[in-house]
Amino acid sequence: MFKIYLKNRTALVLSALIVLILLGSIAAFLFLNTGGSTGTIAEIYQDGQLIKTIDLNSVTEDYSFTVSGENGAYNVVDVHHGEIGIAEASCPDGLCINMGFIHSSAMPVTCLPNKLVIRIVTESDSADKVDGVAY
Amino acid sequence: MNNSKNAKKMTVQKMVLLAMFSTIALTVFVIESLLPPLAPIPGIKLGLANVVTLILLVCFNERDAFLVLFVRILLGSICAGQMMSFMYSLCGGLLCFVTMALINRLLHRQFIFITSVFGAIAHNIGQLLVAIFLVRQPGILVYLPLMMISAVLTGLFTGFCAWFTTPRLEKQLNRYHVQR
Repeated sequence: MFKIYLKNRTALVLSALIVLILLGSIAAFLFLNTGGSTGTIAEIYQDGQLIKTIDLNSVTEDYSFTVSGENGAYNVVDVHHGEIGIAEASCPDGLCINMGFIHSSAMPVTCLPNKLVIRIVTESDSADKVDGVAY
Repeated sequence: MNNSKNAKKMTVQKMVLLAMFSTIALTVFVIESLLPPLAPIPGIKLGLANVVTLILLVCFNERDAFLVLFVRILLGSICAGQMMSFMYSLCGGLLCFVTMALINRLLHRQFIFITSVFGAIAHNIGQLLVAIFLVRQPGILVYLPLMMISAVLTGLFTGFCAWFTTPRLEKQLNRYHVQR
């Protein structure tokens, strides 16, 4: 079977393509994880709209709040000093809870069923950089 | 292999077999959705139900594989959850199917595990595109590398599952002279 495989040019080309995709993804993954700057500002988007901005460095006491969506969907967001995550949610898979707390821009927390995204940005690329321009 | 003259007429035997394949795919799909998620990223799963699609692509033809896939996605979304997952599954499933059918033709039904990997990659790209469209946050594109890595691994796994099954199934299908 291995010999047939080596003789089949299409199979070899496609296999090489797979290896390329794999290596590229690993490289991109490593790059994203190390290149992710530890920002301090958390932005919470619901349905593509920025609904809340929190400066995680100025949080002195842990607190949580609830983001509610349509049809009784909700996510309880936990805010700690320097990190943010979802503690409780109405989505069936609970993936957003499993994603844990984030403190860098490398991986946003996403809850697809409730269309909620929490991402961390550094002050320079925050969505309300209009303020920066206004100075 | 492809009995194209009678392709429009489906024998009862074949219909029953395809219905059974749909049942198998649906069962695997539902059981897999009950398992805890493999990784804390949306969309990373084994995709075991795809084994059935792969087997059908090799042993039957593209039309039959597509029929079973569509029935599985429709019923699976009804059984396993909200209609939201129907959107994800359908877009991922369709993109996956088109890619697999194409690669399968290129490879002349051989090396099904390569087909499977490309299917998994296409599936994950499709799901991520729907997710970006629904959440309206291009930022979640950063999940792509991780999803690609998982697609290659899970695609190889499901591909080898199908690859080890097809010779045995082929033997049985020939034994009972199943029209294909």
